[in-house]
Amino acid sequence: MSPDPASVPHSDARPAGDAAVAGAEDADGGALVQATKLTKRYGDFYALRDCTVSVPAGEVFGLLGPNGAGKTTLLRLLLGYLFPTSGTATIAGLDVTHDSVAVRRLVSYLPGEARLPRHMRGSDVLQFFAEMQPDGDLVRSRRVAERLELDLDRRVAFMSTGMRQKLAVAVVLGARTPLLILDEPTANLDPTVRSAILEMVSDAQNEGRTVIFSSHVLAEIEEVCTRVIFLRRGILARGLRLDTLKQRHRIFAQIDDQIDDQIDGVPVPDALRGLVEIQPFTPAAAPGTRWVRMDTAGDLAPLLSWLDSLRLKRMRIEPLGLRAIYDNVHDLVRSEPASDEETS
Amino acid sequence: MIDRVLCKKYVNQSMLLWLACGLALFAFSWMRVWVVSLLDMQQFTTIIEQFRDFEKFSPIAFDQLVTYTGRVGATFDEPLIIICVVVWCVARGSDVVSGELGRGTLEMLLAQPISRSRLLLSHAVVSTIGLLGLCLLVWLGMWIGIQLTVFEETVQPPTLNIPFFNIPIPLSSAEPETVTVRMSERVEAGIFAPSVVNLFTFGFFLLGLSTLMSSWDRYRWRTIGLVIAFYVLQTVMFGLAKAAEPLAWLEHLTFLTCYRPQQLTVTMMDPDVPGVWRLFPAGDEALGPMMYPLILFALGLAAYLAAFQVFRRRDLPAPL
Repeated sequence: MSPDPASVPHSDARPAGDAAVAGAEDADGGALVQATKLTKRYGDFYALRDCTVSVPAGEVFGLLGPNGAGKTTLLRLLLGYLFPTSGTATIAGLDVTHDSVAVRRLVSYLPGEARLPRHMRGSDVLQFFAEMQPDGDLVRSRRVAERLELDLDRRVAFMSTGMRQKLAVAVVLGARTPLLILDEPTANLDPTVRSAILEMVSDAQNEGRTVIFSSHVLAEIEEVCTRVIFLRRGILARGLRLDTLKQRHRIFAQIDDQIDDQIDGVPVPDALRGLVEIQPFTPAAAPGTRWVRMDTAGDLAPLLSWLDSLRLKRMRIEPLGLRAIYDNVHDLVRSEPASDEETS
Repeated sequence: MIDRVLCKKYVNQSMLLWLACGLALFAFSWMRVWVVSLLDMQQFTTIIEQFRDFEKFSPIAFDQLVTYTGRVGATFDEPLIIICVVVWCVARGSDVVSGELGRGTLEMLLAQPISRSRLLLSHAVVSTIGLLGLCLLVWLGMWIGIQLTVFEETVQPPTLNIPFFNIPIPLSSAEPETVTVRMSERVEAGIFAPSVVNLFTFGFFLLGLSTLMSSWDRYRWRTIGLVIAFYVLQTVMFGLAKAAEPLAWLEHLTFLTCYRPQQLTVTMMDPDVPGVWRLFPAGDEALGPMMYPLILFALGLAAYLAAFQVFRRRDLPAPL
């Protein structure tokens, strides 16, 4: 049963950070957003299928996936724009379908392609949304607009796509809600503004607010998110913490012909088993040579002496970025479903 | 129940259209009273007699039309009045959901803590008050016209009617006398109050219908198309019912039957019927005079209630 909406904290009388943390406390198990087997089906087509997601309070939570993966469907279900075919979702313990208005008191949402009333001036738009949202803050919105170098005297109808996006960002980041949902916030923006927005997302997290961040730009997700999930064809394919990703590396090295047999035959030491995955290959650019790709997880130090014993040549070690995981997810979905451990 | 900030937005959004419609309605209503004064009643009677064969298409009998009150009251059936009211109602009603969806602005709007019912209600209140204002402007224009219009009226010399032959013989050979008359001496603006109510309920029904279509649709152009198609179909049915006796039953299937401002004016003028502000019929009336506006209002209200249900339960697609 959902708690009384009146008990959900607002930041009228206290800093946003406090509100955000308190909002999280209302939720079960510290998760501000909890979706359980959330499904949206249109006829035979599943836009989202059995999606179980938990977003802890205070995190920047990334949503990744190709177009049509179900990211926006998930966000729209959370905001009550769509009604789930099955499953449930709560924000701060409030059911997103039945307590939609109370839920939206806690949320600031930036749509993928934000469109604003064209007859209004920029300043009027900020004022309008600041008045609509109980946690709206016109001063903060103006400050964000100023930081983004936005001309607020211009009518929306005469703004470029980028300017309109900046204005929408100012609306959303100005409000002091505990939860921010940003769907492609940096689309149509130049690199300078992108960095400014990513900084503001980090600032929001420092204030204790929770952010759900959907993007196609892997570098942005890597930069700001603490946790990320991968969606593909409406299915939650994988989830991982970004700090564990930073402990993952990919090692490329050429195999010495003399020890070719060794590399296949030498067992991975017991202590390292499960931490390294080995795959030989021949690059198209260098036919006749044998290479090996090793994906590692965890601390590299224990691996180094073992790697040295393999007498590999032209070794290159690089962090295993989201790109590799992203590519892997596509293959993974084709061959095997994600386990509960991976998705929870 | 309604949201002040949203209402303010809707007022700003619709102000230009309202001012344009309001100005047209006000000026036209005023001017039309003046135009009535330009055509002498004798001349008008002569003209109207030429069209006696088409009397069945007139909302009221020609004999009742040949009065200053009847002629001024015909303002409510003028195409310009109807068009302005229809434009306001269809434009505003179609905008509320499919219009905002089409422009993509509903996303940000509904991301705010406001229920769909509240959004629809706020819009309905602003649109309905706007409609009421337009109807009152028609009345105001007529009232000002009636107060300010002065015209010359020919007073025919006294005549003697010869019995059996029914031939009038003038008793004087002098030129007919002309006197200056104020329109307010011939017409009282208050008599059109039931017609104003009828015009309002006519608009309210269209407003409700447009809102219903809009709450179900995602394209505003299609919403407008559907409502206009419905209106044209109803007009054709109404015309056919008037034109051909075998098709008279169509009259019961069109809401335009309930728009009868001139009949209400005539009823108001008739000293033999017990007033116009009643729901129950008197004499050979099928329904009481105010039952017709009430039916339109009820249909509009039903359309609004259906719109609330449809909008509350539908999925809102992402903007294209």
